[in-house]
Amino acid sequence: MGSGGRERAWVRGAQGGDVSSLEALFRHHWPTAYRAAYLVVHDAAAAEDIAQEAFIAAVRNLDRFDRRRPFGPWLHRIVVNRAIDWARMRSLRAESGGDALAGAAATESAGLADDVVEAIRSLSAEHRAVIVLRHLLGYTPGEIARLLDLPRGTVNSRLRRALDALGERLGDER
Amino acid sequence: MNERELGDRLRRAPLPPADRQRALAVVRQAFTERERVSWPRRHARALVLAGTAAAVVAAAVSPPGRAVLGSLRDAVGREGVKRARTALVSLPAPGRLLVESAKGPWVVQADGSRRLLGSYRDAAWSPHGLYVAATRADQLLALDPRGRIRWALARPQVRFPRWAGTRTNTQIAYLTGSRLHVVAGDGTHDVDLCGEPAAARVAPAWRPGPGWVVAYATTRGRVYTLDAGACSLLWRSAPFPRPRLLEWSSDGTRLALITADKLVVFTGARPSVRYLRGVVAAAFAPRSHELAVVQDGRLLVFDGDHLANRPRRIFAGAGRFGGVFWSPDGRWLLLPWPSADQWLFIRSTGVRRLLAYSRITQQFGGAEFPRVLGWCCRAR
Repeated sequence: MGSGGRERAWVRGAQGGDVSSLEALFRHHWPTAYRAAYLVVHDAAAAEDIAQEAFIAAVRNLDRFDRRRPFGPWLHRIVVNRAIDWARMRSLRAESGGDALAGAAATESAGLADDVVEAIRSLSAEHRAVIVLRHLLGYTPGEIARLLDLPRGTVNSRLRRALDALGERLGDER
Repeated sequence: MNERELGDRLRRAPLPPADRQRALAVVRQAFTERERVSWPRRHARALVLAGTAAAVVAAAVSPPGRAVLGSLRDAVGREGVKRARTALVSLPAPGRLLVESAKGPWVVQADGSRRLLGSYRDAAWSPHGLYVAATRADQLLALDPRGRIRWALARPQVRFPRWAGTRTNTQIAYLTGSRLHVVAGDGTHDVDLCGEPAAARVAPAWRPGPGWVVAYATTRGRVYTLDAGACSLLWRSAPFPRPRLLEWSSDGTRLALITADKLVVFTGARPSVRYLRGVVAAAFAPRSHELAVVQDGRLLVFDGDHLANRPRRIFAGAGRFGGVFWSPDGRWLLLPWPSADQWLFIRSTGVRRLLAYSRITQQFGGAEFPRVLGWCCRAR
Protein backbone atom coordinates (compact mmCIF):
# COMPACT_ATOMS: atom_id res chain seq x y z
CA MET A 1 0.00 0.00 0.00
CA GLY A 2 1.42 3.43 -0.97
CA SER A 3 1.73 6.28 1.45
CA GLY A 4 -1.52 7.78 0.10
CA GLY A 5 -3.38 4.52 0.62
CA ARG A 6 -1.86 4.06 4.05
CA GLU A 7 -2.93 7.55 5.07
CA ARG A 8 -6.45 6.99 3.79
CA ALA A 9 -6.60 3.83 5.88
CA TRP A 10 -5.47 5.75 8.98
CA VAL A 11 -8.07 8.46 8.38
CA ARG A 12 -10.77 5.84 7.86
CA GLY A 13 -9.70 4.07 11.04
CA ALA A 14 -9.64 7.29 13.06
CA GLN A 15 -13.07 8.26 11.76
CA GLY A 16 -14.25 4.89 12.99
CA GLY A 17 -12.80 5.57 16.45
CA ASP A 18 -9.57 3.57 16.19
CA VAL A 19 -6.98 5.19 18.47
CA SER A 20 -4.02 3.43 16.86
CA SER A 21 -4.95 4.93 13.47
CA LEU A 22 -5.06 8.35 15.06
CA GLU A 23 -1.65 7.75 16.60
CA ALA A 24 -0.25 6.67 13.26
CA LEU A 25 -1.55 9.86 11.65
CA PHE A 26 -0.07 11.89 14.48
CA ARG A 27 3.36 10.22 14.28
CA HIS A 28 3.45 10.65 10.53
CA HIS A 29 2.52 14.33 10.47
CA TRP A 30 3.81 15.70 13.79
CA PRO A 31 7.45 16.36 12.74
CA THR A 32 6.44 18.43 9.72
CA ALA A 33 3.66 20.23 11.57
CA TYR A 34 6.01 21.21 14.39
CA ARG A 35 8.78 22.22 11.98
CA ALA A 36 6.40 24.36 9.90
CA ALA A 37 5.02 26.06 13.01
CA TYR A 38 8.50 26.67 14.42
CA LEU A 39 9.80 28.21 11.22
CA VAL A 40 6.91 30.69 11.24
CA VAL A 41 6.89 31.60 14.95
CA HIS A 42 10.49 30.87 16.04
CA ASP A 43 9.36 29.92 19.53
CA ALA A 44 9.58 26.25 20.48
CA ALA A 45 6.84 26.31 23.13
CA ALA A 46 4.46 28.20 20.86
CA ALA A 47 5.26 25.87 17.95
CA GLU A 48 4.43 22.85 20.12
CA ASP A 49 1.17 24.46 21.19
CA ILE A 50 0.25 25.40 17.62
CA ALA A 51 1.02 21.95 16.21
CA GLN A 52 -0.87 20.28 19.04
CA GLU A 53 -3.87 22.60 18.70
CA ALA A 54 -3.92 22.00 14.95
CA PHE A 55 -4.14 18.26 15.55
CA ILE A 56 -6.91 18.77 18.09
CA ALA A 57 -8.83 20.97 15.65
CA ALA A 58 -8.38 18.31 12.98
CA VAL A 59 -9.51 15.56 15.35
CA ARG A 60 -12.64 17.48 16.32
CA ASN A 61 -13.58 17.91 12.66
CA LEU A 62 -12.53 14.47 11.52
CA ASP A 63 -16.08 13.38 10.78
CA ARG A 64 -16.42 16.11 8.19
CA PHE A 65 -13.15 15.27 6.48
CA ASP A 66 -13.38 13.79 2.98
CA ARG A 67 -11.00 10.85 3.22
CA ARG A 68 -10.45 10.72 -0.53
CA ARG A 69 -8.35 13.85 -0.07
CA PRO A 70 -4.89 13.94 1.54
CA PHE A 71 -4.76 14.75 5.24
CA GLY A 72 -1.53 16.78 5.09
CA PRO A 73 -2.79 19.91 3.31
CA TRP A 74 -5.77 20.06 5.66
CA LEU A 75 -3.49 19.95 8.70
CA HIS A 76 -0.89 22.29 7.20
CA ARG A 77 -3.54 24.86 6.45
CA ILE A 78 -4.53 24.91 10.12
CA VAL A 79 -0.93 24.94 11.36
CA VAL A 80 0.28 27.75 9.13
CA ASN A 81 -2.77 29.96 9.61
CA ARG A 82 -2.54 29.57 13.39
CA ALA A 83 1.17 30.26 13.30
CA ILE A 84 0.61 33.45 11.29
CA ASP A 85 -2.07 34.57 13.76
CA TRP A 86 0.25 33.87 16.69
CA ALA A 87 3.19 35.73 15.14
CA ARG A 88 1.03 38.73 14.21
CA MET A 89 -0.46 38.87 17.68
CA ARG A 90 2.94 38.62 19.34
CA SER A 91 4.38 41.38 17.17
CA LEU A 92 1.47 43.69 17.96
CA ARG A 93 1.85 43.62 21.69
CA ALA A 94 4.52 44.35 24.20
CA GLU A 95 5.33 41.32 26.27
CA SER A 96 6.16 42.40 29.79
CA GLY A 97 8.02 39.19 30.50
CA GLY A 98 9.70 39.60 27.13
CA ASP A 99 13.27 39.63 28.32
CA ALA A 100 12.85 36.50 30.40
CA LEU A 101 10.97 34.74 27.62
CA ALA A 102 13.47 35.78 24.97
CA GLY A 103 16.23 34.55 27.26
CA ALA A 104 14.48 31.23 27.68
CA ALA A 105 13.98 30.93 23.92
CA ALA A 106 17.64 31.71 23.32
CA THR A 107 18.68 29.02 25.80
CA GLU A 108 16.30 26.55 24.16
CA SER A 109 17.87 27.02 20.75
CA ALA A 110 21.46 27.51 21.94
CA GLY A 111 23.82 25.56 19.74
CA LEU A 112 21.13 25.08 17.11
CA ALA A 113 21.83 28.28 15.20
CA ASP A 114 21.34 27.82 11.48
CA ASP A 115 21.89 30.72 9.11
CA VAL A 116 18.84 29.88 6.99
CA VAL A 117 16.60 29.64 10.04
CA GLU A 118 18.03 32.91 11.33
CA ALA A 119 17.51 34.55 7.95
CA ILE A 120 13.88 33.41 7.89
CA ARG A 121 13.38 34.85 11.35
CA SER A 122 14.05 38.32 9.90
CA LEU A 123 11.06 38.05 7.52
CA SER A 124 7.48 38.99 8.32
CA ALA A 125 5.14 36.20 9.42
CA GLU A 126 3.31 36.30 6.07
CA HIS A 127 6.58 35.94 4.16
CA ARG A 128 7.80 33.14 6.45
CA ALA A 129 4.53 31.31 5.88
CA VAL A 130 4.78 31.28 2.08
CA ILE A 131 8.43 30.21 2.24
CA VAL A 132 7.53 27.35 4.58
CA LEU A 133 4.57 26.24 2.46
CA ARG A 134 6.53 26.44 -0.80
CA HIS A 135 9.97 25.19 0.17
CA LEU A 136 9.45 23.05 3.26
CA LEU A 137 6.07 21.53 2.43
CA GLY A 138 6.37 21.69 -1.36
CA TYR A 139 3.06 23.30 -2.30
CA THR A 140 2.68 25.14 -5.59
CA PRO A 141 1.79 28.85 -5.54
CA GLY A 142 -1.75 27.94 -6.61
CA GLU A 143 -2.11 25.49 -3.74
CA ILE A 144 -0.68 28.04 -1.28
CA ALA A 145 -3.19 30.60 -2.53
CA ARG A 146 -6.00 28.16 -1.73
CA LEU A 147 -4.55 27.20 1.67
CA LEU A 148 -4.17 30.81 2.77
CA ASP A 149 -7.24 32.21 0.98
CA LEU A 150 -5.10 34.64 -0.95
CA PRO A 151 -4.98 35.68 -4.63
CA ARG A 152 -2.32 33.77 -6.50
CA GLY A 153 -0.61 37.02 -7.50
CA THR A 154 -0.20 37.94 -3.84
CA VAL A 155 1.40 34.57 -3.13
CA ASN A 156 3.80 35.00 -6.04
CA SER A 157 4.81 38.49 -4.99
CA ARG A 158 5.29 37.41 -1.36
CA LEU A 159 7.43 34.51 -2.48
CA ARG A 160 9.54 36.74 -4.68
CA ARG A 161 10.06 39.35 -1.98
CA ALA A 162 10.79 36.76 0.67
CA LEU A 163 13.35 35.01 -1.51
CA ASP A 164 14.98 38.33 -2.40
CA ALA A 165 15.19 39.24 1.28
CA LEU A 166 16.63 35.84 2.15
CA GLY A 167 19.17 36.07 -0.66
CA GLU A 168 20.26 39.49 0.50
CA ARG A 169 20.56 38.43 4.09
CA LEU A 170 22.41 35.20 3.40
CA GLY A 171 24.61 36.99 0.86
CA ASP A 172 25.47 39.74 3.36
CA GLU A 173 26.59 37.23 5.90
CA ARG A 174 28.91 35.43 3.57
CA MET B 1 21.68 28.97 -2.78
CA ASN B 2 19.03 27.79 -5.19
CA GLU B 3 15.44 26.98 -4.24
CA ARG B 4 16.06 23.24 -4.01
CA GLU B 5 18.91 23.79 -1.57
CA LEU B 6 16.67 26.09 0.44
CA GLY B 7 14.11 23.28 0.80
CA ASP B 8 16.81 20.83 1.91
CA ARG B 9 18.14 23.28 4.48
CA LEU B 10 14.64 23.91 5.88
CA ARG B 11 14.02 20.17 6.22
CA ARG B 12 17.38 19.52 7.89
CA ALA B 13 17.82 22.61 10.08
CA PRO B 14 18.19 21.60 13.73
CA LEU B 15 15.26 22.76 15.88
CA PRO B 16 14.67 22.74 19.65
CA PRO B 17 13.24 19.36 20.60
CA ALA B 18 9.48 19.10 20.99
CA ASP B 19 7.74 16.89 23.53
CA ARG B 20 5.88 14.74 21.05
CA GLN B 21 4.62 12.22 23.59
CA ARG B 22 2.95 14.88 25.68
CA ALA B 23 1.31 16.38 22.61
CA LEU B 24 0.14 12.93 21.56
CA ALA B 25 -1.38 12.35 25.00
CA VAL B 26 -3.38 15.60 24.72
CA VAL B 27 -4.51 14.82 21.17
CA ARG B 28 -5.48 11.30 22.21
CA GLN B 29 -7.54 12.73 25.05
CA ALA B 30 -9.31 15.12 22.67
CA PHE B 31 -9.97 12.17 20.37
CA THR B 32 -11.42 10.11 23.22
CA GLU B 33 -13.64 13.00 24.31
CA ARG B 34 -14.88 13.34 20.75
CA GLU B 35 -15.85 9.70 20.94
CA ARG B 36 -17.50 10.20 24.31
CA VAL B 37 -20.06 12.64 22.93
CA SER B 38 -21.01 10.38 20.07
CA TRP B 39 -24.61 9.17 20.02
CA PRO B 40 -24.18 5.49 21.00
CA ARG B 41 -21.94 6.14 23.98
CA ARG B 42 -24.03 9.03 25.24
CA HIS B 43 -27.18 6.96 25.10
CA ALA B 44 -25.51 3.79 26.31
CA ARG B 45 -24.53 5.63 29.49
CA ALA B 46 -28.06 6.95 29.98
CA LEU B 47 -29.42 3.48 29.39
CA VAL B 48 -27.03 1.97 31.90
CA LEU B 49 -27.99 4.62 34.47
CA ALA B 50 -31.67 4.11 33.80
CA GLY B 51 -31.23 0.35 34.07
CA THR B 52 -29.29 0.69 37.31
CA ALA B 53 -31.92 3.05 38.75
CA ALA B 54 -34.69 0.64 37.78
CA ALA B 55 -32.81 -2.25 39.38
CA VAL B 56 -32.25 -0.27 42.58
CA VAL B 57 -35.93 0.72 42.77
CA ALA B 58 -36.99 -2.87 42.12
CA ALA B 59 -34.63 -4.13 44.79
CA ALA B 60 -35.67 -1.47 47.28
CA VAL B 61 -39.39 -2.29 47.15
CA SER B 62 -38.80 -5.95 47.88
CA PRO B 63 -38.61 -6.94 51.59
CA PRO B 64 -34.94 -8.10 51.37
CA GLY B 65 -34.10 -4.90 49.43
CA ARG B 66 -35.56 -2.72 52.17
CA ALA B 67 -33.31 -4.44 54.67
CA VAL B 68 -30.21 -3.78 52.51
CA LEU B 69 -31.06 -0.09 52.12
CA GLY B 70 -31.55 0.21 55.85
CA SER B 71 -28.10 -1.15 56.56
CA LEU B 72 -26.60 1.19 53.94
CA ARG B 73 -28.16 4.19 55.65
CA ASP B 74 -26.70 3.10 58.95
CA ALA B 75 -23.26 2.73 57.44
CA VAL B 76 -23.35 6.23 55.92
CA GLY B 77 -24.56 7.64 59.22
CA ARG B 78 -21.58 6.12 61.03
CA GLU B 79 -19.19 7.73 58.52
CA GLY B 80 -20.36 11.22 59.42
CA VAL B 81 -20.03 13.23 62.61
CA LYS B 82 -22.46 11.73 65.12
CA ARG B 83 -23.77 14.77 66.90
CA ALA B 84 -24.68 16.71 63.79
CA ARG B 85 -27.49 19.25 63.66
CA THR B 86 -30.18 18.39 61.19
CA ALA B 87 -30.97 21.93 59.99
CA LEU B 88 -28.58 24.62 58.83
CA VAL B 89 -29.83 27.44 61.04
CA SER B 90 -26.87 29.79 60.67
CA LEU B 91 -23.33 30.07 59.38
CA PRO B 92 -20.64 30.31 62.05
CA ALA B 93 -19.00 33.33 60.40
CA PRO B 94 -20.18 36.44 58.55
CA GLY B 95 -20.75 36.20 54.83
CA ARG B 96 -22.95 34.30 52.38
CA LEU B 97 -22.54 30.98 50.67
CA LEU B 98 -23.13 30.26 47.01
CA VAL B 99 -24.23 26.65 46.60
CA GLU B 100 -25.25 24.68 43.51
CA SER B 101 -27.76 21.84 43.63
CA ALA B 102 -29.47 19.96 40.81
CA LYS B 103 -32.08 22.74 40.80
CA GLY B 104 -29.52 25.52 40.34
CA PRO B 105 -27.51 27.93 42.48
CA TRP B 106 -28.66 29.03 45.94
CA VAL B 107 -27.56 31.96 48.07
CA VAL B 108 -27.34 31.03 51.76
CA GLN B 109 -27.39 33.99 54.14
CA ALA B 110 -25.50 34.05 57.45
CA ASP B 111 -28.79 33.35 59.29
CA GLY B 112 -29.24 30.12 57.32
CA SER B 113 -32.03 31.42 55.06
CA ARG B 114 -31.59 30.47 51.45
CA ARG B 115 -32.88 31.47 48.04
CA LEU B 116 -32.81 29.48 44.81
CA LEU B 117 -31.65 31.78 41.99
CA GLY B 118 -33.08 29.71 39.15
CA SER B 119 -32.08 27.07 36.69
CA TYR B 120 -28.44 28.07 36.13
CA ARG B 121 -25.05 26.41 36.47
CA ASP B 122 -21.47 27.35 37.29
CA ALA B 123 -22.32 30.35 39.45
CA ALA B 124 -19.67 32.67 40.92
CA TRP B 125 -19.81 35.75 43.10
CA SER B 126 -19.01 39.23 41.84
CA PRO B 127 -16.08 40.75 43.78
CA HIS B 128 -18.27 42.31 46.47
CA GLY B 129 -21.07 39.77 46.42
CA LEU B 130 -23.54 42.18 44.84
CA TYR B 131 -24.16 39.99 41.80
CA VAL B 132 -23.67 36.44 40.62
CA ALA B 133 -22.32 35.31 37.24
CA ALA B 134 -23.80 32.04 36.00
CA THR B 135 -24.30 30.02 32.85
CA ARG B 136 -27.29 28.46 31.13
CA ALA B 137 -27.35 26.61 27.78
CA ASP B 138 -24.76 28.59 25.83
CA GLN B 139 -25.38 31.79 27.76
CA LEU B 140 -23.37 33.76 30.26
CA LEU B 141 -25.60 35.72 32.64
CA ALA B 142 -25.27 38.25 35.41
CA LEU B 143 -27.89 37.89 38.15
CA ASP B 144 -28.69 39.87 41.23
CA PRO B 145 -28.90 37.94 44.52
CA ARG B 146 -32.68 37.61 44.05
CA GLY B 147 -32.11 35.75 40.78
CA ARG B 148 -33.16 38.55 38.41
CA ILE B 149 -31.19 38.62 35.16
CA ARG B 150 -29.19 41.84 34.65
CA TRP B 151 -27.78 40.85 31.29
CA ALA B 152 -27.09 37.77 29.19
CA LEU B 153 -24.50 37.04 26.55
CA ALA B 154 -24.89 34.18 24.07
CA ARG B 155 -21.70 32.15 23.63
CA PRO B 156 -21.21 28.44 22.89
CA GLN B 157 -20.14 26.04 25.64
CA VAL B 158 -19.80 28.72 28.31
CA ARG B 159 -18.26 27.64 31.60
CA PHE B 160 -16.26 28.83 34.62
CA PRO B 161 -17.16 32.53 34.85
CA ARG B 162 -14.88 34.31 37.31
CA TRP B 163 -15.60 37.91 38.28
CA ALA B 164 -13.06 40.43 39.58
CA GLY B 165 -12.57 44.15 40.02
CA THR B 166 -13.48 47.17 42.10
CA ARG B 167 -16.87 48.66 42.94
CA THR B 168 -16.80 50.79 39.80
CA ASN B 169 -15.03 48.57 37.29
CA THR B 170 -15.33 44.81 37.00
CA GLN B 171 -14.55 42.13 34.44
CA ILE B 172 -15.55 38.50 34.03
CA ALA B 173 -13.16 35.91 32.66
CA TYR B 174 -14.77 32.72 31.33
CA LEU B 175 -14.24 29.90 28.89
CA THR B 176 -16.25 29.43 25.71
CA GLY B 177 -15.25 26.05 24.37
CA SER B 178 -11.51 26.12 24.89
CA ARG B 179 -11.11 29.87 24.42
CA LEU B 180 -10.50 32.28 27.29
CA HIS B 181 -12.75 35.33 27.02
CA VAL B 182 -13.04 38.46 29.12
CA VAL B 183 -16.16 40.63 29.23
CA ALA B 184 -16.83 43.84 31.15
CA GLY B 185 -19.05 43.53 34.21
CA ASP B 186 -21.92 45.22 32.33
CA GLY B 187 -21.82 42.55 29.61
CA THR B 188 -20.05 44.70 27.00
CA HIS B 189 -16.66 44.44 25.25
CA ASP B 190 -16.45 40.66 25.15
CA VAL B 191 -13.07 39.61 23.70
CA ASP B 192 -11.07 36.45 23.09
CA LEU B 193 -8.24 37.35 25.41
CA CYS B 194 -5.08 37.97 23.40
CA GLY B 195 -5.57 34.88 21.22
CA GLU B 196 -3.48 32.75 23.55
CA PRO B 197 -3.35 28.91 23.32
CA ALA B 198 -6.47 26.90 24.05
CA ALA B 199 -7.55 26.58 27.66
CA ALA B 200 -7.91 23.36 29.62
CA ARG B 201 -11.18 22.73 31.48
CA VAL B 202 -9.98 24.68 34.50
CA ALA B 203 -11.51 27.89 35.83
CA PRO B 204 -9.38 30.96 35.11
CA ALA B 205 -8.23 32.83 38.22
CA TRP B 206 -7.96 36.59 38.61
CA ARG B 207 -5.04 37.77 40.71
CA PRO B 208 -6.35 39.70 43.72
CA GLY B 209 -5.27 43.31 43.98
CA PRO B 210 -4.88 46.11 41.49
CA GLY B 211 -4.64 45.51 37.76
CA TRP B 212 -6.24 42.90 35.57
CA VAL B 213 -4.00 39.87 35.82
CA VAL B 214 -5.62 36.55 35.03
CA ALA B 215 -4.09 33.09 35.13
CA TYR B 216 -5.33 30.16 33.12
CA ALA B 217 -4.12 26.67 32.25
CA THR B 218 -3.66 25.56 28.66
CA THR B 219 -4.54 22.15 27.28
CA ARG B 220 -0.82 21.32 27.50
CA GLY B 221 -0.85 22.17 31.19
CA ARG B 222 1.13 25.38 30.96
CA VAL B 223 -0.02 28.17 33.24
CA TYR B 224 -0.23 31.54 31.48
CA THR B 225 -0.58 34.74 33.46
CA LEU B 226 -1.77 37.61 31.35
CA ASP B 227 -2.28 41.29 31.91
CA ALA B 228 -5.77 41.46 30.43
CA GLY B 229 -5.63 45.27 30.31
CA ALA B 230 -2.51 45.47 28.15
CA CYS B 231 -2.94 42.04 26.57
CA SER B 232 0.60 41.14 27.56
CA LEU B 233 2.02 37.88 28.80
CA LEU B 234 3.59 38.23 32.26
CA TRP B 235 4.91 34.69 32.42
CA ARG B 236 4.13 31.16 31.41
CA SER B 237 5.13 27.97 33.14
CA ALA B 238 6.57 24.68 32.00
CA PRO B 239 3.85 22.11 31.24
CA PHE B 240 2.16 20.45 34.23
CA PRO B 241 -0.11 17.86 32.57
CA ARG B 242 -3.72 17.33 33.63
CA PRO B 243 -4.32 20.63 35.44
CA ARG B 244 -7.43 20.79 37.64
CA LEU B 245 -7.51 23.98 39.66
CA LEU B 246 -5.85 27.40 39.93
CA GLU B 247 -6.04 29.46 43.11
CA TRP B 248 -4.33 32.75 44.07
CA SER B 249 -3.38 33.76 47.58
CA SER B 250 -5.28 36.85 48.73
CA ASP B 251 -2.17 39.05 48.40
CA GLY B 252 -1.65 37.87 44.82
CA THR B 253 1.94 36.74 45.38
CA ARG B 254 1.31 32.97 45.27
CA LEU B 255 -0.56 30.91 42.72
CA ALA B 256 -1.45 27.30 43.49
CA LEU B 257 -1.97 24.79 40.71
CA ILE B 258 -3.47 21.36 41.34
CA THR B 259 -2.88 18.65 38.77
CA ALA B 260 -3.73 14.95 38.78
CA ASP B 261 -0.56 14.16 40.71
CA LYS B 262 1.04 17.42 41.84
CA LEU B 263 0.53 20.42 44.05
CA VAL B 264 2.44 23.39 42.61
CA VAL B 265 2.82 26.82 44.18
CA PHE B 266 4.21 29.55 41.93
CA THR B 267 5.99 32.55 43.37
CA GLY B 268 6.06 34.66 40.24
CA ALA B 269 7.05 32.20 37.55
CA ARG B 270 9.10 30.04 39.95
CA PRO B 271 7.30 26.82 40.88
CA SER B 272 7.58 24.73 44.07
CA VAL B 273 6.30 21.24 43.39
CA ARG B 274 5.02 18.55 45.71
CA TYR B 275 3.85 15.19 44.38
CA LEU B 276 0.37 14.56 45.73
CA ARG B 277 -2.33 12.39 44.20
CA GLY B 278 -6.07 12.52 44.82
CA VAL B 279 -6.31 16.23 45.54
CA VAL B 280 -9.89 17.40 45.15
CA ALA B 281 -9.64 21.05 46.16
CA ALA B 282 -7.34 23.68 47.60
CA ALA B 283 -7.82 27.17 49.01
CA PHE B 284 -5.46 29.77 50.45
CA ALA B 285 -6.49 31.22 53.79
CA PRO B 286 -7.38 34.93 53.57
CA ARG B 287 -4.38 37.18 54.26
CA SER B 288 -2.07 34.19 54.60
CA HIS B 289 -0.10 31.68 52.56
CA GLU B 290 -1.59 28.73 54.42
CA LEU B 291 -3.07 26.41 51.83
CA ALA B 292 -5.92 24.09 52.82
CA VAL B 293 -5.93 20.98 50.64
CA VAL B 294 -8.52 18.21 50.42
CA GLN B 295 -6.93 14.90 49.49
CA ASP B 296 -9.61 12.19 49.25
CA GLY B 297 -10.84 11.88 52.86
CA ARG B 298 -8.24 14.16 54.48
CA LEU B 299 -8.09 17.88 55.07
CA LEU B 300 -4.48 19.10 55.20
CA VAL B 301 -3.00 22.56 55.61
CA PHE B 302 0.31 23.27 53.86
CA ASP B 303 2.64 26.20 54.34
CA GLY B 304 2.45 27.70 50.85
CA ASP B 305 5.92 29.20 51.29
CA HIS B 306 7.49 25.85 52.23
CA LEU B 307 5.67 23.09 50.41
CA ALA B 308 8.27 20.52 51.42
CA ASN B 309 7.32 20.92 55.08
CA ARG B 310 5.00 18.32 56.55
CA PRO B 311 1.39 19.51 56.35
CA ARG B 312 -0.93 19.75 59.35
CA ARG B 313 -3.74 17.23 59.28
CA ILE B 314 -6.92 19.01 60.30
CA PHE B 315 -9.55 16.34 59.76
CA ALA B 316 -9.93 12.87 58.29
CA GLY B 317 -13.03 10.83 57.54
CA ALA B 318 -14.35 7.94 55.50
CA GLY B 319 -15.25 8.60 51.86
CA ARG B 320 -14.32 11.76 50.02
CA PHE B 321 -14.77 15.43 50.76
CA GLY B 322 -16.28 17.78 48.20
CA GLY B 323 -14.08 20.85 48.51
CA VAL B 324 -12.77 23.30 51.07
CA PHE B 325 -13.75 26.93 51.67
CA TRP B 326 -12.40 29.51 54.10
CA SER B 327 -14.83 31.90 55.75
CA PRO B 328 -14.19 35.49 54.63
CA ASP B 329 -12.68 36.28 58.06
CA GLY B 330 -10.33 33.27 57.79
CA ARG B 331 -11.49 31.70 61.08
CA TRP B 332 -13.56 28.80 59.79
CA LEU B 333 -13.21 26.15 57.15
CA LEU B 334 -16.24 24.63 55.43
CA LEU B 335 -15.73 21.01 54.45
CA PRO B 336 -18.60 19.50 52.42
CA TRP B 337 -18.79 15.72 52.95
CA PRO B 338 -21.02 14.12 50.29
CA SER B 339 -20.74 10.50 51.48
CA ALA B 340 -21.95 11.50 54.95
CA ASP B 341 -24.44 14.06 53.57
CA GLN B 342 -22.93 16.62 55.93
CA TRP B 343 -21.27 20.00 55.99
CA LEU B 344 -18.55 20.42 58.57
CA PHE B 345 -17.51 23.85 59.81
CA ILE B 346 -14.08 23.62 61.43
CA ARG B 347 -12.70 26.40 63.54
CA SER B 348 -9.22 26.98 62.14
CA THR B 349 -7.67 29.25 64.75
CA GLY B 350 -7.43 29.24 68.53
CA VAL B 351 -9.76 26.72 70.14
CA ARG B 352 -10.56 23.81 67.81
CA ARG B 353 -14.27 23.52 67.26
CA LEU B 354 -16.37 21.45 64.92
CA LEU B 355 -19.94 22.17 63.84
CA ALA B 356 -21.63 19.52 61.75
CA TYR B 357 -24.88 19.81 59.79
CA SER B 358 -26.50 16.73 58.31
CA ARG B 359 -29.25 16.09 55.73
CA ILE B 360 -27.69 18.70 53.46
CA THR B 361 -29.05 17.13 50.27
CA GLN B 362 -32.62 17.35 51.54
CA GLN B 363 -32.17 21.01 52.49
CA PHE B 364 -31.22 21.91 48.92
CA GLY B 365 -33.92 20.20 46.91
CA GLY B 366 -33.17 16.58 47.63
CA ALA B 367 -31.85 15.28 44.29
CA GLU B 368 -28.09 15.32 44.83
CA PHE B 369 -25.54 16.57 47.33
CA PRO B 370 -25.06 20.28 46.59
CA ARG B 371 -21.75 21.72 45.48
CA VAL B 372 -20.42 24.71 47.43
CA LEU B 373 -19.11 27.36 45.03
CA GLY B 374 -17.93 30.16 47.30
CA TRP B 375 -18.15 31.94 50.64
CA CYS B 376 -18.44 35.66 50.20
CA CYS B 377 -17.78 38.38 51.42
CA ARG B 378 -16.23 40.02 54.44
CA ALA B 379 -18.67 41.82 56.74
CA ARG B 380 -18.53 45.57 56.15
